[in-house]
Amino acid sequence: MNGQVVNKVSTRGRSRRRSRLSGIAVIMLALVAVGSLYTAVAAPSSAQESEPANQSMKVQEGRDLFLSGCSTCHGLNLAGGAGGPSLIGVGASSVIFQVESGRMPLAAGVQQAPRKDVRYTTEQIDALAAYIDSNGGGPSLPSGSLTDGDLQLGGALFRTNCASCHNFAGSGGALTYGKYAPELEQASARVIYTAMQSGPESMPRYGDNQLTVEEKKAITRYVRYITEAEDVGGAGLGRYGPLTEGLVAWVVGVVALVALTLWIGARA
Amino acid sequence: MTTPPHQPEPGSIRDRLSSPRPTDQASGPGDSRTSDVPESSFQNGDSAGDLAAHGRGHKQIHAAMAPEPVGLDRHAMLSDRDAKAAERKVASLFLLALLGVIGFVVTFFAVEQEFGKPWNTWFTPLLGTFMALALGGIGAGAVLWAKLLMVDEEAVQDRHDFGSSAEERAATSKALKQGLADTGLPRRKLLRNSLLLGAGSLALLPLPFVGFLGRFQNKERELATTGWEKGARLIRQNGTPVKLGDIQVGGVESVFPDVEEGTLRADSPALLIRMRPEELQLAGDKQEWAYQGHVVYSSICTHLGCPVKLYEQQTHNLFCPCHQSTFKADQGAKVIFGPAARPLPQLAISVDDEGYFIAEGDFSEPVGPSYWERG
Amino acid sequence: MSVLEKGADTTAGWFDDRLGGAGYIRKSLNKVFPDHWSFMLGEIALYSFIILLLTGTYLSFFYTPSLTEVVYDGSYIPLKGVTMSQAYESTLNISFDVRGGLIMRQIHHWAALLFMAAIVVHLARVFFTGAFRKPRELNWVIGTLLLVMGIVEGFAGYSLPDDLLSGTGARIANGIALSIPVIGSWAAFLVFGGEYPGTAILDRLYALHIFVVPLLILGLITFHMLMVWYQKHTQFAGPGRTEHNVVGSRLFPGYAAKAGGFFFLVFAVLAALGGLAQINPVWLYGPYNPSQVSAGSQPDWYVGFLDGSTRLMPPWEISGFGYTVPLSVLIPTVVLPGVLFTLLGLYPWIEARISKDKGYHNLLDRPRDKPVRTAIGAMTITFYVVLMIAGGNDVIASVFHLSINTMTWVLRIGLFVLPPVVYFLTKRACLSLQRSDQELIHHGIETGTIRRLPNGEFVEETVPLPEVYQVGMTGVEAEPLDAGPETPAPVGPGYEQPQLAQAPDRDGFFSSRRKREKVPVESDAPALEQTGSRKV
Repeated sequence: MNGQVVNKVSTRGRSRRRSRLSGIAVIMLALVAVGSLYTAVAAPSSAQESEPANQSMKVQEGRDLFLSGCSTCHGLNLAGGAGGPSLIGVGASSVIFQVESGRMPLAAGVQQAPRKDVRYTTEQIDALAAYIDSNGGGPSLPSGSLTDGDLQLGGALFRTNCASCHNFAGSGGALTYGKYAPELEQASARVIYTAMQSGPESMPRYGDNQLTVEEKKAITRYVRYITEAEDVGGAGLGRYGPLTEGLVAWVVGVVALVALTLWIGARA
Repeated sequence: MTTPPHQPEPGSIRDRLSSPRPTDQASGPGDSRTSDVPESSFQNGDSAGDLAAHGRGHKQIHAAMAPEPVGLDRHAMLSDRDAKAAERKVASLFLLALLGVIGFVVTFFAVEQEFGKPWNTWFTPLLGTFMALALGGIGAGAVLWAKLLMVDEEAVQDRHDFGSSAEERAATSKALKQGLADTGLPRRKLLRNSLLLGAGSLALLPLPFVGFLGRFQNKERELATTGWEKGARLIRQNGTPVKLGDIQVGGVESVFPDVEEGTLRADSPALLIRMRPEELQLAGDKQEWAYQGHVVYSSICTHLGCPVKLYEQQTHNLFCPCHQSTFKADQGAKVIFGPAARPLPQLAISVDDEGYFIAEGDFSEPVGPSYWERG
Repeated sequence: MSVLEKGADTTAGWFDDRLGGAGYIRKSLNKVFPDHWSFMLGEIALYSFIILLLTGTYLSFFYTPSLTEVVYDGSYIPLKGVTMSQAYESTLNISFDVRGGLIMRQIHHWAALLFMAAIVVHLARVFFTGAFRKPRELNWVIGTLLLVMGIVEGFAGYSLPDDLLSGTGARIANGIALSIPVIGSWAAFLVFGGEYPGTAILDRLYALHIFVVPLLILGLITFHMLMVWYQKHTQFAGPGRTEHNVVGSRLFPGYAAKAGGFFFLVFAVLAALGGLAQINPVWLYGPYNPSQVSAGSQPDWYVGFLDGSTRLMPPWEISGFGYTVPLSVLIPTVVLPGVLFTLLGLYPWIEARISKDKGYHNLLDRPRDKPVRTAIGAMTITFYVVLMIAGGNDVIASVFHLSINTMTWVLRIGLFVLPPVVYFLTKRACLSLQRSDQELIHHGIETGTIRRLPNGEFVEETVPLPEVYQVGMTGVEAEPLDAGPETPAPVGPGYEQPQLAQAPDRDGFFSSRRKREKVPVESDAPALEQTGSRKV
C-alpha cells in the first residue's frame, strides 16, 4: 500500500490490514463514483451556466439542508440557539470537519462529539459548507489534492504538532477530564485537513501562517499513509505502544507457555 | 504414577501406560501406588559420604553402585501397534520441523523484506510461522517421545543434609585460625596496619575514573539555564521565526531559541500559546511577560521532563502525556492535577521591530525536574 | 552394538582417560528431579535468556550505538532524507534492510518481555509454595537480584534504538536521578556524562546492555542453578515423598528429553510472537527529538508499576534552606522500589522470624495451608497490579473513553483499599479450603446413594478417601518409602525435625490451622462396614 492514498468520505471499517486488492477496488470505486458524479452534476451545467450561478445554487441547496437538519440547534439565522453555537464566521472547513466525520448532527448532549456514521453526501456537505461560508467566511479547503504533500516533511510535522495528542501512529490518546484526541484511521483526508484549519473542540487551530497549505497537506498525506500502511512485523496490536505489547506477552505468551508446562507435566 | 493420582479410564493407551504391570494386579487400583512404589523405587545416594551422614543401611550403597532399571518400561507395556502409532506421532512432529525449516529457507530467500517490495509485509510473519513450526516440531516431538515411549518412573533419591558435623566445623575453624596465626598477622601490628592502609587506599584508585565519567564544571549553571537569551527570536523546529499574527487564537506552536543548536537543546523547547488577551489571568508582572494574548511556557515538565505539548484550546489545560500532570495555561501554568509540584516556567517575550517574537531573557528559574540544589 | 554406540564409547573413553569423571557423569544422569508443571516456570525464564543471548548477538552485528547524525537513506520511505542518529538509523536498517533482522529484533523484544514475566511467575510459585524457606534463602535472594537485574537490562535495551519512545524513557531516568537528595545532580551528570542528553549515554547503556548486565545475569543464573542442583529441588507432599528424599524422574533420559523439548517449545512460542505480533515499531515512533513526545508514552510492562506509582503520586515537594526534595519523584521511583525489593529479598527471614520456624523444608506447602503467607502474596500482587493499571491509565482511558482524572482517583483509593480486602478474602478462602479438605478426610466421598436406616433416618453413603489421596492434605504426612531399617533422625547443627507434623496451632499464622489429627470415620450405621455416611 505504498503511497496510495484513498480519499473517501465514509467511515472505513476497523480493519487496517486490507488486502492490496481491496485497496485497488476502493480506488476503482472512488474513480467510478467521481466520474459518474462529474457527468451527472458538472457536465450539464458547465456548458450553459456560469460559475457564480452554480455557486448560488449550491448555497441555496445548503440553506435547505441547514434549515431541515441543523437549524433546531444552531438557529434559523445561524446565530446559535438551543445548545448549538453560532455558525456565523466559522467558515467552510469547520462544516466539512464536523459533518463529514459524522460528529454533526450531534446525537445528544455529550462532553465531546463522537465520530458517527455520516448523514450527508459529499455534495450535500459541500453545499452546507458553501451556505455557512456565504454568511461570514472562514477557512476553507484549498484546491487540488489534499494528499500530494511531502511525506517526510509530513512525518516530522506530525511528530512535532500532532503525536503528543493523537499518539505516534494516530491511534488516539486521552486528554484531561474524559476528553480524548480521537484515533485518525477513520478520518478522511478532508476531515484531517479541516480539523487542522478549524481547531474543533479541544484541538488547537493551525492557521495558514503557522502551517502553510503545503505543510498541512504533507501532514494529511502522512496520516493517511501510516494509518493505511500495513504493519510489516505482524499484527499491529492497535499501535498503542508497550501497553498492548505487555498485555500480549502475558495473555498470549505466558498463558501459552504455562499451558505447555501443564502438558509436559501431565503424566501420559 | 500421577500427582494427584487419578483413576485411568480403561482401554486407552494411557491406561495401559500408567497402570501397573500385570504382576501387580493383585492390589486394587486405589492402593496400587503404595504397594507398587517400593518395588519400583530407586535409591541412589549422591556419594558414599552423603549416605554415611544419613546413617542409612548399606543396601542403598549397593543401589548407588549398580542402579537397576526402575519405573515402568513403556516398551514392555505397549502393544506393537500402539508403540508404532506413538512412534509415528513423534516422527511426524520431527518431520514437521523439516517442513518448517524448508519453508523458512524458501521465505528467507524468495520473499523480499525491504520496505515497499511486493509481499514485504508477509516476510516476517511467514518467517515467524515457519520458525515456530520448525522449533515447535522438534520440541513437541521430544516431549511426546518422552511421554509416550520412554520410561515412566518414580525414582527416589536421598537428600543431603547441609549442616556439617560439629567436629567438622571445629576442625575447619581450627585450621583457619592456625593458618592466620602462621601468617603472623595478628601479632605483627605494623604489617597489619600498613596492609589495611595500603589495601584500603586501593579502593580509592577507581574514583578518578568514575569521576571522569561526568563533566561537572558549571553543573549548576547548566541545570539552571537554557538556550534562551535576551533578543533571541522564537523559531520553529524548521528554523523559521514566528511572527506576530502567525498563530491564531486557539493556536499553539513549539518554539525554540534562535541561538546555535537552539532547536537541538533538550532544555529549551517552549510552547507559544495564543488565546484571547482577556482570557489570560497572569499574576502581577507575569502579565508583562505575555504579549497580546501570546504566552510562552517551557514545555519541559517540572515533574520528570517530558515535553508538555497537549494543549486543549477550550479549557486551556496543558497535559503531560507521561504522568498526567495538568497545568492551566491561562493561569500561569499552575498545576491542577497530577504529580508535578511546580508551574511550568514562563518566558518573557515581546516583539521586535520586524514583528517577530523575541525572548526578553532566559527563564527566571530552572526548567524541568526539581533537584536538590534548586532551592 | 551399533556403530553409533561404539563411536560414542570410544569418544567418551578418550575423554575419560584424560579427565576421568565417568562416575560423576553416571551419578548425574541418575539425578532425580521431581515432576510438577509449576517447576518448569523458571525454565521459561532460563530459555528466554538463552534466546535473548542468541538474538542479541545477531542484532549487535548490525547495531551502532552512536548519536552521530546521519541522513537516512534506507528503504523505509516515510523517513527517507530525515536526519537521525546512527543508532536509530541502524535500528531501521535492521528492521527493513537486514534480511531477517526484523524478526530477530521482535523475538529479542518478546523474549525480554517473557523473560521478566517468567521470572515473576516463577517467583510467585516459589513464594506461594514456601520453597524459599531454609535451606534455600540464598537462592531466593539471587532470584530477587535477577529480577532487579532484568529490569535494569530491559531498560537499557529499551533506550538503545534512540527512537522517540526510548528517548522519553531516558529523559525520565535523568529526572529520577536528579531527584535524589544531595547527590542527585552529581548522579545525573555522572550517568549522562554532563547535562541531559549529552553524547555519552548510548555508549554507556550499550556497554551495560550487551556486556556488564548480561554477564551478571549469566553469573547469577549459573549460581542459581548450581544451588538447585546441589540442594536438590523441593517437592510437593505425596505418597512416599518425605523431607529426606526426592521422588521424580531421573535426569536421563526422561527429564532431559522433556526439558530439552521445552526449550524448543519456548523458542517456538517466541518465534511465533516475533513473526506474528509486531513489537516496538520504531519506524512509527520516529527519531528522538527532545521537544517531541507521543501520547501514551509508556515503559515496557516490567517498569509499568513504577510509572503507575509515579502517576498516582500527589504533587509533593519540600523546599527550604535553599534545597529541594522532590517527593513526588523520589517516593514513587526511588523509595518505593527500594522498599519493595528489600522486603522481597528479606522475606524468608521475615517469615522465619514471625513463624519461629527455623527448620529445614524440602516439602512444599500448598498455598491454602499457609493462609497468612498466601494472603500476603495475594495482597502484594493486588498492590502491584493496581500500580500496573495506573501505568497504562492513559491508554485505557483513551480506548474506553474514560476520564483519566476519575481513573487516577479510583486507582489512588484502590491502591490502599484493595490490598487489605484481598488479604482478608484470600485468608478466608484458604481457611475454608482447608476445612473442605478436612471434611473430605473426616466424612469421605459422597456416593449419592441414600439409605434409610431402621429408625427411619435417611443417610447418604460415603466412601472414605483412600489414604494415598490424603497425603499432602493439611497435616497428613507421607510414610517413608523404603521398608528398610528405620532411619534415625539426621543430626547436625541447626537441624530440626521437619515441622509439618508438629507445627503449633497458631490460628493460621504461616501454618495450618489444624494440628495433624486422624479422626475416625463417622459411622452411624453399623450395617455399613467400609463406608461412612452423612446425614441428609
